[in-house]
Amino acid sequence: MTVRYSELIQPERVHGSLYTDPGVFAEELERIWYRTWVCVGHVSEVARPGDYVRKAVGTQDVIMTRSADGEVSLLLNRCAHRGNLVCEDARGNSSSFRCPYHGWTYRNTGELLGYPYNQGYGGKGKLSLGLGRVPRVDTYQGFVFASFAADGPSLKEHLGAAAGELDRLARLSPEGEIELTAGWLKHRAKANWKLLVENETDGYHPQFVHGSVFSVTGSHIGSLYSDKSTAVTRDLGGGHSENDLRPEFRRMGTPMAWFGTSEAKVPEYVRKMRELHGEQAEEILIEGAPHVMVFPNLFVAEISVFMIQPVAVDETVQHVTAVQLKGAPDMNRRLLSQCVGSVGPAGMLLADDSEMYERNQRGMAARMPEWLDIRRGVGRERVDENGFRVGTANDETGMRGFWSHYRSLMEREDAQ
Amino acid sequence: MSSLAGHTGLDLHEIEEFLYREARLADEHDYDGWEALWTDDALYWVPAGGPDIDPERQMSVIYDNRSRISTRISQLKTGKRYSQSPPSNMRRLISNVEVVAVEGTDTVAGANFLLVESRERGTTLWAGRTTYRLRRVEDGIRLAYKKVVLVNSAEALSTLSFLI
Amino acid sequence: MEQRIIASEFAEVAVSLDTDANGPRLRIEDLRGGRVRHLDALELESVVWLPEERLRELLDPSAGRWSDRPGDE
Ligand code: FES
Ligand SMILES: [Fe+2]
Repeated sequence: MTVRYSELIQPERVHGSLYTDPGVFAEELERIWYRTWVCVGHVSEVARPGDYVRKAVGTQDVIMTRSADGEVSLLLNRCAHRGNLVCEDARGNSSSFRCPYHGWTYRNTGELLGYPYNQGYGGKGKLSLGLGRVPRVDTYQGFVFASFAADGPSLKEHLGAAAGELDRLARLSPEGEIELTAGWLKHRAKANWKLLVENETDGYHPQFVHGSVFSVTGSHIGSLYSDKSTAVTRDLGGGHSENDLRPEFRRMGTPMAWFGTSEAKVPEYVRKMRELHGEQAEEILIEGAPHVMVFPNLFVAEISVFMIQPVAVDETVQHVTAVQLKGAPDMNRRLLSQCVGSVGPAGMLLADDSEMYERNQRGMAARMPEWLDIRRGVGRERVDENGFRVGTANDETGMRGFWSHYRSLMEREDAQ
Repeated sequence: MSSLAGHTGLDLHEIEEFLYREARLADEHDYDGWEALWTDDALYWVPAGGPDIDPERQMSVIYDNRSRISTRISQLKTGKRYSQSPPSNMRRLISNVEVVAVEGTDTVAGANFLLVESRERGTTLWAGRTTYRLRRVEDGIRLAYKKVVLVNSAEALSTLSFLI
Repeated sequence: MEQRIIASEFAEVAVSLDTDANGPRLRIEDLRGGRVRHLDALELESVVWLPEERLRELLDPSAGRWSDRPGDE
């Protein structure tokens, strides 16, 4: 039975079965996760030759490596002999991987170096086998992306306007580079991955779901998404969207207010930024970090970086780490501390988001009304000077952008 | 001779009594009672990825100083901390209690725990080894440090917003 | 003799500076296989200058420990 995506995805509503049908999930793996560009990690996680970390692309077990000549590869964790896992540790340093089952040995680029007792194969170098390699690997601002499609749009084309948001993150570092070196929290949710994606740029929920923490900490985040907020939701095209909070931060006009702090608390950082950027430093320090969802799985929420990993139609692992700014140790301690307090299984924000994903998934088991509504703000959307659709801070403009791109990928005749 | 002199370390029985009480207060969501156990220099830590990470440089599941413990408790008490509203039903067993060290008025103790959590998501089994730093004060014993190393700290974890 | 362990999921060796001989040597012990080898300064220098491919050839399991060619150890 073929799924008619054009019927299930309509401009103002989407069908519940898209979140609950295992057949849809299987097709998503092929048409999205094993085709489009998916974010896997960051080059700073494999900073030195021989470094490796285990990662996931969709449900695929992948090893991200850095070879002697500095190249980053993504290898499939499956021995070419009989399919055993080649790599067991979460991270390590080794120029070569030796499968524990029968000792086949590979370079960290995937090339087969040899196998024990080679007379059984007629001698050395007789097998043209190796570890599977993700066909296309590319990086942007250090983020490593994978595409299982041998050809297709380039990473630059895929990122489109979202690239500028990653630039905006990187420019917060006095050295122009971020690092993701603080390790990842892995948070399991019994929910479909798209509920996470949609929630990430949903400006409608914070006042409700996060009211508990806003009320006890006096956080200003709630007001950023209120009906009075001048912040906007922007559909960046390509399924990417952002909550552009800059109008609010500009209105405050105070350096570091975006981070809920003042320049007096991080004088060294502010000094370095002013030294580097001169007059432009004020703009950077006032506008702060982006809040952007990069299709399909990279979410940057100012100080936290999330990667969404689908596990099953009703199960997702959300990986999250703190942004670390190269050359800003005083900021990094604060970034880590604030991030740890907010995200992950016990986070004061994300634990409640995750509770909502799970209740949302259970709610959709009900037979009626069948549809999820995504029309909020349709009537007040405008097109900005760059041609992007813009809604208010709590409109569902980003979700609509996500779904229109999702539909274009899922509908393609040439899929598979 | 003050009442503390010559008797700073806690004996196993006192330690167990304290640990059981702390466990019961957490299991029963007695937030004020649980918060009152802590000292002012408290540290409440649940590492992620393994037991020996550097919490000042690496992500933890929980890394709360005294003021953040207080925020966590206040959030729970709003009744709108949805991941604990309704609260999980839980019971935990504490065993294998050992005294690790006695340092002045502080006693460092270790114990294993097994916790069964039930909520609508399903029943979740949590287990691990906890290190406690217990301090003898005028009116009893306080908790200065609690580090909970989950057996599955390297795996993806379900939401854990109850007091572990 | 201070011993350092260098380990990964693939191998585990202990290295130390051995001063028992007339000159210093690096002592390397394969902690999983139990075998010990000493490398002198010239041997170590040669390893440093070994072309990348030659080093890689040493990692071929059939190149040594697991060879089934008659005459190999
Ligand atoms: S399966 Fe890997 S060597 Fe046999
Ligand atoms: Fe949220």
